[in-house]
Amino acid sequence: MDTEKSSSNIVRVEGVRKVYHDNGVPVDALRGINLTVSPGDFSVIAGPSGSGKTTLLNIVGTLDKPTEGKVFLDGEDIASKTRRQLADIRLRKIGFVFQAYNLNPVLSALENVEFTMMLRGVEAAERKRKGLALLEELGIGELAHKRPNEMSGGQQQRVAIARAISNDPRLVLADEPTANLDSETAVRLLELMERLNHHDGITFVFSSHDPQVIGRAHRLLILKDGQIATDKIVQ
Amino acid sequence: MIGVIALVLTDAISIGMMQQMLTNQIGADAGYIQIHRKGFQTDPSLKNSISNASTVKAAISKDAASCKTSERLRTFGLVSSAYNSSGVSIVGIVPDDEKDVTTIHKYVVKGSYLRDNPDEIIMSTSTADKLRLELGDKVVIMASRVDGSVGSEACRVVGLFETYDSGFDQTHVYIPLTTAQDMLGAPGRISEFVVNPVNPERTETVARRLEADLPAGFEVLTFKQMLPILVMQLRLYDQTIYIFYAIIAIALIFGIVNTMLMAVIERTHELGVDMAIGMSNRRIFRMILTEAFYLGIIGTAAGLAVSLAVYVPLSRSGWDLAMFSESLNSIGAGTIIYPVLKATTLINTIVIIPLAAVAGAVYPALRAVKLQPVETIRMS
Repeated sequence: MDTEKSSSNIVRVEGVRKVYHDNGVPVDALRGINLTVSPGDFSVIAGPSGSGKTTLLNIVGTLDKPTEGKVFLDGEDIASKTRRQLADIRLRKIGFVFQAYNLNPVLSALENVEFTMMLRGVEAAERKRKGLALLEELGIGELAHKRPNEMSGGQQQRVAIARAISNDPRLVLADEPTANLDSETAVRLLELMERLNHHDGITFVFSSHDPQVIGRAHRLLILKDGQIATDKIVQ
Repeated sequence: MIGVIALVLTDAISIGMMQQMLTNQIGADAGYIQIHRKGFQTDPSLKNSISNASTVKAAISKDAASCKTSERLRTFGLVSSAYNSSGVSIVGIVPDDEKDVTTIHKYVVKGSYLRDNPDEIIMSTSTADKLRLELGDKVVIMASRVDGSVGSEACRVVGLFETYDSGFDQTHVYIPLTTAQDMLGAPGRISEFVVNPVNPERTETVARRLEADLPAGFEVLTFKQMLPILVMQLRLYDQTIYIFYAIIAIALIFGIVNTMLMAVIERTHELGVDMAIGMSNRRIFRMILTEAFYLGIIGTAAGLAVSLAVYVPLSRSGWDLAMFSESLNSIGAGTIIYPVLKATTLINTIVIIPLAAVAGAVYPALRAVKLQPVETIRMS
């Protein structure tokens, strides 16, 4: 039985390997990763390009499957899940913040936030109330009816964060969230996510090589050549 | 949309044309019901004419209020001028009664309709041309009498007609019934009674009632029995139109496959993000089918709107196809076609087109659900 309901970890990664094939040549992206993420963590996975940060985040986020090893989310082994069950896990337990925001271009900010709630079956009135409250909380309430192309990068990333936390996920995975932002906007965004972590207890795992992100990590994991070279708590 | 327009208008014009062929035949000559002596249908000679017309008249009189009737004496004969002769069907009619059951009087283009004066004849312009006749000229008509001898009569041409059907025109001349009976030595004899219910929907009912009331030795035929080929054509068309529906649906399916496949390819990244944030395959599949369904609905609505915009005025004014008059007249359709849009055409279109659109979206939807979110997001 792979279920460990008693586990207090949100994420547990055991001996994960990921091998890609580049023109038929096997490339080890991850080589035996062991990792746990606890509720309330504000962790940053750092490392140079090609070190496997995004691959690890994708595997934790159930978007990708490991070649070897196991990943547990809330104690459940994701290897045994169907595509439909994985989609449901992503919908209910995980929020994603992408480097390129990845908002739906034809939907307004509010509609983008409401979209994930709609997938969960939240009623329209409640979706709207909560969506507006989130946008207000993130300081972009006045942009609720603007489309992504009418917003700056920082504003779009705030909408993406609102979308990520709209379903009250156990975990938010942020892949290079500041990579496309200027430093001032990046700082404000990181402050916002810290606040959400402190006040609302949302667990964040970042992948980034941005010193500003690394500097705010409560826990820093440095990946090198597909392995965790450093795992330390930062106070 | 184009498919819907093609389907609706082609169907309406085809049905209109065939119904016209039928109603033209009914209107010009056949009528809705005919009563003959048994055997006349296979051997339409004088020996199969009705001698006891009063029996038939008594049966018909029960429906006098709801039916129009006319009686005819019909035989094959020869019409001759000084220049030429032509074999024709000589039809003796009661001019005023005939007006109530057929429309031949409306087709008179030169001179006048029969006025029940003895020795008058009307014929088609084509027959007159063949015999080199003008209005007022005399012709001789000849036919076998009841006793086997040859009867003849000199008649004056008082009117020329032109119907929708060139074949009919070349083979029919009309004279007063009494003239025909005298010439053929058949006083009181009738070849056929034409009975037209005022409400044509009652044709079968009236025919069955007449059949029951008449003694053995008579046959009661409806237009369906008298014009079996035309009726069969209409029935056959009702079946074959589904082949046309299938062709349109297949063309539409290919169009939708192409459109939706392009939509999926263009939105690969967006669909990947949707999958990443938790949209299930089933929901993505349903979303693409729904989009195709709405495309089908919009296309159907637009197509129907255009079709109706063309159909409504055309159904009133008719579509003048004079340039094809020769071929249209040869099949008895007439040169002005009035399209007829049936409710079944609209219902079939409204059902088939959106369903075909959904069917066409199945393959693109299957392609969409096979997308891997991790790969599609990387595409950004």
